[in-house]
Amino acid sequence: MKIVAVTACPTGIAHTYMAAEQLEKTARAAGHQIKVETQGAMGIENELSAQEIREAEVVLFAVDIEVERRERFAGKKIVEVRVVEAIKNPKALLERLHG
Amino acid sequence: MAELEFQCPLPNGLHARPASTLAEVVGRFEAEISLENRRNGARANARSVLEMVALGVKRGDRCRLEIRGADAESAAASLRAFLDNELPICDEALPAEAPATGRALPRGLRNACGRWFAGTVVCPGIGKGRVVVLGAAFVPPELLEQPAEAPADEREKVRRANVALRATLEMRLASKPPAVEEGILRAHLAILGDVGMTQRTVAAIDSGRSAMQAVSEAAAFFAARMRESESAYVRERAIDIEDIGFQLLERMHGSRLRSPQLDLAEAAVVVAESLTPRQFLALDKRFLQGLVLEHTGGTSHAVILARSFGIPTLTGVAEVRAHIAPGTEAVVDANIGIVIPEPSATVRVFYERELVTLRRREERLARFRRAPARTRDGQTLEVAANVATVEELAPAFSAGADGIGLFRTEMLFMDREAPPSEEEQFAIYLQAARAAQGSPVIVRTFDIGGDKPVPYLQLAPERNPFLGLRGLRLYPGHASVFRAQLRAILRASAFGKIWMMVPMLNSVDELRWVKARLAEVRTELDAAGTKYDPALRVGVMIEVPSAAFAIPELATEADFFSIGTNDLLQYFMAVDREQASVAGLASARHPAFLRLLKKIVDDARAAGRWVGMCGEMTRSPRNLPLLVGLGLDEISTAAPEISGLKAGIAQLSAEECRALYASALACGTLAEVEARVAAFREQGATQSLLTADFVCMDSRSATKEEALQELVGALYVAGRTEQPRALEDAIWAREAVYSTGLGFGFAIPHCKSDTVSANSIAVLRLAQPLEWGSTDGLPVRCVILLAMRETGEEGAHMKVFSKLARRLMHEEFRERMLAARDRAEVLSCLEEELGLAPSPIG
Repeated sequence: MKIVAVTACPTGIAHTYMAAEQLEKTARAAGHQIKVETQGAMGIENELSAQEIREAEVVLFAVDIEVERRERFAGKKIVEVRVVEAIKNPKALLERLHG
Repeated sequence: MAELEFQCPLPNGLHARPASTLAEVVGRFEAEISLENRRNGARANARSVLEMVALGVKRGDRCRLEIRGADAESAAASLRAFLDNELPICDEALPAEAPATGRALPRGLRNACGRWFAGTVVCPGIGKGRVVVLGAAFVPPELLEQPAEAPADEREKVRRANVALRATLEMRLASKPPAVEEGILRAHLAILGDVGMTQRTVAAIDSGRSAMQAVSEAAAFFAARMRESESAYVRERAIDIEDIGFQLLERMHGSRLRSPQLDLAEAAVVVAESLTPRQFLALDKRFLQGLVLEHTGGTSHAVILARSFGIPTLTGVAEVRAHIAPGTEAVVDANIGIVIPEPSATVRVFYERELVTLRRREERLARFRRAPARTRDGQTLEVAANVATVEELAPAFSAGADGIGLFRTEMLFMDREAPPSEEEQFAIYLQAARAAQGSPVIVRTFDIGGDKPVPYLQLAPERNPFLGLRGLRLYPGHASVFRAQLRAILRASAFGKIWMMVPMLNSVDELRWVKARLAEVRTELDAAGTKYDPALRVGVMIEVPSAAFAIPELATEADFFSIGTNDLLQYFMAVDREQASVAGLASARHPAFLRLLKKIVDDARAAGRWVGMCGEMTRSPRNLPLLVGLGLDEISTAAPEISGLKAGIAQLSAEECRALYASALACGTLAEVEARVAAFREQGATQSLLTADFVCMDSRSATKEEALQELVGALYVAGRTEQPRALEDAIWAREAVYSTGLGFGFAIPHCKSDTVSANSIAVLRLAQPLEWGSTDGLPVRCVILLAMRETGEEGAHMKVFSKLARRLMHEEFRERMLAARDRAEVLSCLEEELGLAPSPIG
């Protein structure tokens, strides 16, 4: 499965990156392709390109705040969860995306 | 008879000031005039301010004036005009009443603290001990038990006491005291002359009471009525009434009624209405842990002393004596401005931790205290203390003072009936010279006038005393007083390193006059064979702008200069520092002021003269880079600031500070300077994220509150934050969004806040796992605090933070963090995993 994801937490210091790491780690272990854009205190990093978004089967937002430049994802199927869900149980989350 | 109805237009109600204006108008007429508050039906004689204030008239209350007598009609006309035109505008804004509950308690206390009272911090710190209440007005009971003589005799006693007290108060008023004291004096005079008070006293005497009983009962009666008022402002006037009653009793008794001596025998928190300097000095400092005062009025000197001794002190804690019982335990937290009576177990634990933190911080600062302050690139800057009494010298030197940069002598001249004699002054300057043990003591000759009234000099009232006869300008008219001081200073100079400094000087001819007097005194001393230092250094306090532009000429006569920033700033900016509405316009960081300072220092340097600075500008750590950049020889400040300033200097580079100052000189506005200073602090904030000092092993913290207190405490001890409470609040604010317990036994509380001086990571390893509300429900064994600055460059450090966050998702890293046996292992684990440069182990 091709996944693109965005993580963003209130202070942008910790949970944004923990969630990104957790998603990348778990998705790869399960054999998925994933790219995670972080929207934290350093702004947007690992930015998703238009092509990557277009090609993704699933868009996952693990966020507690508004996603910046959300218009890029217009028309895509978006699954939106809180950041902690990605940190706490990334495996279950990815399985849900699958279904 | 005439009647006038009106509605009270005054936002603060009819308190003493508007009531006395009304009484003044009433006093112009013969008619009998009464005021009724129609809300509660209470009536007062409109000649008695006290009775009118006791009516409790609030804004919007309907009132009625009843006027009977021959001139009732003209009185009514005048009063109508007064009510319509003058009454609405005769009030000024009262000081805002600080809501006692508005202050934020430290997080660790919010659920554990029962009663507490807020006040204004005048000297920070934390102290706890048994409460000792100091009664301000203690009347020995036997005085009140003395039987009354004939009523006529008793009335005469009251009259005489009244006249004597009035004369004293009027004399003090004539010396043009500062606005606050003037207001109090006028209020006291009004109480003294109040017909309601007089009638009540006379009636009591006529019914067989003694003068003392009658006065003390009348005062108690009106004080009690004031205390019933709904306005806190009026309630506080009760103390003024009791004070006047007390002073009348003293006059009748013929000598001062002293408070009983307070012998402190164990750690004590002293609670008082107010405190005189003498009362403060009598307290045993070995046991005095904290000071809580209801009033600030008239206590300013005691407050200055408390600061010198570093006693945690709160003022303006209204009516606290009514709420705190003697003999019970209390904690004074003069870091946040509260006093907590009868602390609970949780509160005690909290403060035990706080005291440990404060002691550790103190120990860290102590390293800087002994040695002269030196910048990273080796430039030294003397840090001296400002004092006003001999008692402050020892604490100043143990606080790390390199010398006394300003010994204000005017306190020796105040609160007394005659100037201090030469011998009295000599004894004091001699003590100063000896206490300094070879360090310089700069004795400033008396600066009286302006805001510092002294009755026996009989100074004529002035429209603007700050621009009037003060400081050196007074000396020619009081030559013998000045001569006694010169003799005392010269004689003391034989016993140590005394320098003499002259205040309020405009031009070199004034200095020549002073030196001519000095030469005369030397001749006298030579003739008498009295020893003195022939090389006594004579300097000038630069506090008038004209003097700042006369440095080359002054240098022909002066050996040194010290910049008095308080007056210099207010004269230079034309801003009255006491006037809240404009005080904000005068910042010592204003570019024009910085240019002035630069000129003074450059001109002094060009003439080869030593130049220091005393005044408020030296107190703020924010100004420190500018002061170092300015190139002063010395800064002189309040003793408790010294070790912090020395520690601050050690972190600066003189070269960078000079560059900062040069760039500030090029700024056009204060805002631009502030931006440069802030940017400079950011540069300085590129210190290592993490040191061994920030790692706490085997922590006994049992709650989240305690754990965060401990982590923030570690940063406070290390000097990474000066506002530990605010930093904690920032962390808790983030915690409120959702728990930072991320599972796996780890928590990462974090915040973005400028309460840290540099981005920092602190680690707490817990002996017992504790509950953190983690996502997986497991207790936490390791807490990693990330504190990041809100402003400034974040790139590099933020990368480390995000890397740490990512590493925490990996079990190997977590295992390693939990397995580390000591601080060094925790530190090297983090450094390796995050790619940090190794830091020295502290």
